[in-house]
Amino acid sequence: GDSWGIFTFLCAALCNLPALPALNCSEELGAGQSIQQTYDLTRYLEHQLRTLAGTYLNYLGPPFNEPDFNPPRLARAERVPSATVDLDLWRGLTDNARLAANYRAYSRLLCYLRVLDGQVGTAELRHRLAHFCASLQGLVLSIGGVMSSLGYPLPAGPAGPPAPPGAPAAPNDFLKKMDDFWLLKELQTWLWRSAKDFNRLKKKVPPAVVTLRLEARGF
Amino acid sequence: DIHIQYERVGADVTMKCGSMDWDAAVTWTANGTDIDESHLNGSYLLLKNVDLSQSGQYSCYEGSSWHLKYQTYLRVGTPPKEPVLMCRSNNYPKGFYCSWHLPTPTYIPNSFNISVIHGTKDMVCEKDAVPKNRCHIRYLQLFSTVKYKVTLTVTNPLGKNFTTLTFDEFAIVKPDPPESVVAKPVPNNPRRLEVSWQNPSSWPDPESFPLKFFLRYRPLILDQWQHVELSDGTSHTITDAYAGKEYIIQVAAKDNDIGTWSDWSVAVHATPWTEEPKHLTTEAQITETTSASTSSFMAPPTTKICDKGAVVGSGAMAVCWTAGLVVAAYSVLFI
Repeated sequence: GDSWGIFTFLCAALCNLPALPALNCSEELGAGQSIQQTYDLTRYLEHQLRTLAGTYLNYLGPPFNEPDFNPPRLARAERVPSATVDLDLWRGLTDNARLAANYRAYSRLLCYLRVLDGQVGTAELRHRLAHFCASLQGLVLSIGGVMSSLGYPLPAGPAGPPAPPGAPAAPNDFLKKMDDFWLLKELQTWLWRSAKDFNRLKKKVPPAVVTLRLEARGF
Repeated sequence: DIHIQYERVGADVTMKCGSMDWDAAVTWTANGTDIDESHLNGSYLLLKNVDLSQSGQYSCYEGSSWHLKYQTYLRVGTPPKEPVLMCRSNNYPKGFYCSWHLPTPTYIPNSFNISVIHGTKDMVCEKDAVPKNRCHIRYLQLFSTVKYKVTLTVTNPLGKNFTTLTFDEFAIVKPDPPESVVAKPVPNNPRRLEVSWQNPSSWPDPESFPLKFFLRYRPLILDQWQHVELSDGTSHTITDAYAGKEYIIQVAAKDNDIGTWSDWSVAVHATPWTEEPKHLTTEAQITETTSASTSSFMAPPTTKICDKGAVVGSGAMAVCWTAGLVVAAYSVLFI
C-alpha cells in the first residue's frame, strides 16, 4: 500500500518538471529534416533498448528473461500507454494526432523509466537506464520540435499522475517485476510503431524551411 | 457395407469373417488372389508384422457356396509424427499465413486442425484452397505487445500429434523476394551494370512500410559475392564490374525496420558493355561460348594485359584473369 504512494509521489515530482529544458536557441530546420532525425532517433533508441532490456530482464531473473515468456496481460498493466491500435484507425490518423500520440506515449514512458531508475539495484543498470532516459528525453524533445515546426500545439504535460488514483500498487515483488516487464515491452513496441509513424510522416510532410525555437520554460 | 481397417506398420492383424463361426470353412482373398491356408486360424485371417504392400481389399467367402461373407479394405500406415509448422508475414501489415507439413508420410488420410490464440482471443485462420496445407489470418490490430500462439494438431485413424509456435507480430515479418529483376549493360561503360527491380507484389503498402534492399553480385568465375545495401530506390548501378565478365546478380528485400530478409530473388545474368573490335573476328574467336543475354559482341572478352595474341579458350582466360588480379593486388599494395 505504501509503495504505491511513494510511486505516485515520485512520478508526480519527476513529471511535473517541464518537458523542455532551459534552452533558448533558434534554429532553422526543415520539418522534413527533423522528421528524419526523429525517425533516426527511434531506430537508435530501439537498438539501445535491446541491450538495456536484455540486461534488465536478466536482473529480474526467470521467468522474465526467458524468450518464450508470454504472460497474460493483467488489468493493472493498462496504465502503461499501449502502441496497439486498430489498423484502419492508425492509417487514418492525422499528422497532428499521430505526432501527439507519440509525444504523450514517450513522455509517460520516460516518466515510468525514471522511477525505475531510482529503484534498481546494480550500478551498471542505473548507468544504462540513465543513459537511455537521456536519449528518450531527446526523442520527446525531437517530437515536440516537429510538432512546433508544423504549428501543432504540444499535448499538455506528461499527463498528471500516471494512473487513476486508487489503482492497486504492486502488492508483491513478482507483480512489481511484471509491471517492469510490460513497461519494457510496451516501450519496445512503441519504438517499432514510431518508425512506421515517422515513415508515414516523412512521405506526407514536404521539407520546408521553418524557424524552430526551443523556448526556456524555467527550470 | 464398406469396411475400412487401419493398422500400424509392423502390427499383427486378425480379420474375422464377419459373423461366421471360428471353425467355419472359408476362403480369404487379397485383391482377388486366394490367400494361402497357412495364414488362417480357423476362419480368421492372420497377418503378422504387416507392411505397406499388404494394403488392399480383403474378402472372405464361405467354403462351399462361395458367398461373399465379409469384405474390408486394409490400410497400413503410421500415426503422425510431430508436424512441421511455419508462420510468416509476407504482406505486413495485412496479416500472416501459416503452412505445415508432415516430416514423414503416414500413408493414410490425415486431418489438420489449426488454432490461433492472441492473448485471450481466439482467431480464425482461414484455410487456403491452394496450397492445401496453408491458412491465413488478417491482423485486426497493429503493434501488438501480446504474442500469437499457433497450435497445429494432426490426426489420423492411428493417432495424433501436434506442435505449437509462439511469436510476436514483428518477428515473423519476411517479405517475398523482389520481382522483375533486370540487369543491363550501360553503353560505353565497360565496368557498369544497371540493375533494377520491383517491390514484391505481395507487399501491400510500400509507401507506409518501405522496404530496403540487399544486392549481391559476382562474376560467374569467382565465388566471392559483393554486397550493397540500399535503403531506398529500386535500382542500382554497379560501377566496379570486371570488364567483359559475365555477372550473376540477386536482390533481397526487408522491411526497413522489422523482421528478416527475404530469400534471394531469381538470379539474373549480365555482362558489361564491351567495345566492338575493329578487326574481323576469326572463327575460333566466335566459337567461344558466351552466355551473356544482353550484350552482343563478337570478340572474346579480354583485359588489357592479355591483349596481344589473346588465345581463345578458358584455360587462357584463367591465366589472363589471374594476371589481372596479380597486377591489381600489386597496385593496391603500392597505393
